[in-house]
Amino acid sequence: MMRNKDEVIEKVSNTVIEAALTFKEEQKRTYRKAIDKEKLSRAKLIMENTLKNEEEARRSQITLCDDTGIPHLLLEIGKKDVLTGEMMDWIHEGVAEGLRKLPGRPMAVKGNDIERLEQSQGMSDDPGALVSAPLIVKRVDTPGVRLHILLQGGGPEIRSRTYRIFHKHKVSAIVDEIVRWAKEEVAQLGCTPCVPSIGIGRTHFEATSMMIEAMVHGKFDVQSDIEKEITSRINESNVGPLGLKGDTTALATFLKVGPQRASGVRIVCLRLSCNIEPRVNSVYL
Amino acid sequence: MISVQTPISEQTIDSLKVGDPIFINGYIYTGRDAALPKVVKLIEDDKIEQSDIHLRGSAIFHTAISAAGIGPTSSNKYDIESNIPILSEHGVKIHLGKGELSKETVEALKKNNSVYAVVAPVTALLQSTVIEKELVAFPEDGIEAFHRIKVKNFPAIVSIAHGRTIHDEE
Repeated sequence: MMRNKDEVIEKVSNTVIEAALTFKEEQKRTYRKAIDKEKLSRAKLIMENTLKNEEEARRSQITLCDDTGIPHLLLEIGKKDVLTGEMMDWIHEGVAEGLRKLPGRPMAVKGNDIERLEQSQGMSDDPGALVSAPLIVKRVDTPGVRLHILLQGGGPEIRSRTYRIFHKHKVSAIVDEIVRWAKEEVAQLGCTPCVPSIGIGRTHFEATSMMIEAMVHGKFDVQSDIEKEITSRINESNVGPLGLKGDTTALATFLKVGPQRASGVRIVCLRLSCNIEPRVNSVYL
Repeated sequence: MISVQTPISEQTIDSLKVGDPIFINGYIYTGRDAALPKVVKLIEDDKIEQSDIHLRGSAIFHTAISAAGIGPTSSNKYDIESNIPILSEHGVKIHLGKGELSKETVEALKKNNSVYAVVAPVTALLQSTVIEKELVAFPEDGIEAFHRIKVKNFPAIVSIAHGRTIHDEE
């Protein structure tokens, strides 16, 4: 199928904008359920304001959060479909256009390796100068080329880790460690309730890639037993919305398990996604 | 809701307690990882008085300023939290941000009669509270430059005050 450059750029641009401005319906339903269950009135109010913020973002086209995030792209390609280098260029142009139209926060750090590390040359004024994270491409059974765009905020990245777990041939050992990590970090996140996003693989790259897939495909209202257990155990911490106590410290958990190594070790990537994440949107190109 | 007017008096801080929802009216400085160490450097070099930064009775919101709006960044990042004690010592009365702070910072806030209040990450809602914004220092830091914003009914919740944290709240 021949694709039109302008059409691809426009579709991608619109996908970025919607990801930065809106919640999914299932996300809003999950918030409403949490508000109903929450006993602390302050915690209820904070979560109600999170929903009001989404309404206002949708109405006014002002972003959900000023940290409009680093774009992460996952491309799924059907059996007969073709991805060209040119199309990848158009996708990146579409992301840049979306960030300019929003506008996203201009936060591309300028300079050579050392200058970027030290942030000594400041930042570009162009929101579209922000480079996306390396593209992940997957072959899927569904026909078509489907692009998923995730906008990843900075706060959750500080509270994330990818590390090994000696699993002792028990899932419970892995879950215990994930919950321990999450409880160590969640009070410092601030933007709670969090959405623990987890990938488990054979290498650090694979675990992180699984975490990205978990964020793309995870469903707030379709939770596995392990996901429910992790959410429930993190909620026992009573950290609550905004770290100001309450029953809702985690809203849901997204977990993706990849292939595993013949070993007593599992590599686990845990990202404590924040209260407005995942900012994800998808489009067929 | 408790209305707090800037510049903030010692008596106002005395009256605040953990869990209090506040509305700030007046002027707030904004600064984060890049700007706050530079403000502290001005203090250490005895140059703050000659600058356009007036810390006595002030509030500093840990946020970037850009066309994407404002919203709290993590206050427990090194470049921010490590500078809270000296900024408090030099008159900053309310530090605004997000995330839990260390016991050492809780003590430093108590010693200087300053408080820490968390701001919800609701950029779209916060937009209407900002009446004007002005670049004050360090333009080279772009979105992280030091700004002064005029706010009306800017919402926050006190989470550290007088040596107590939200965990000590009954």
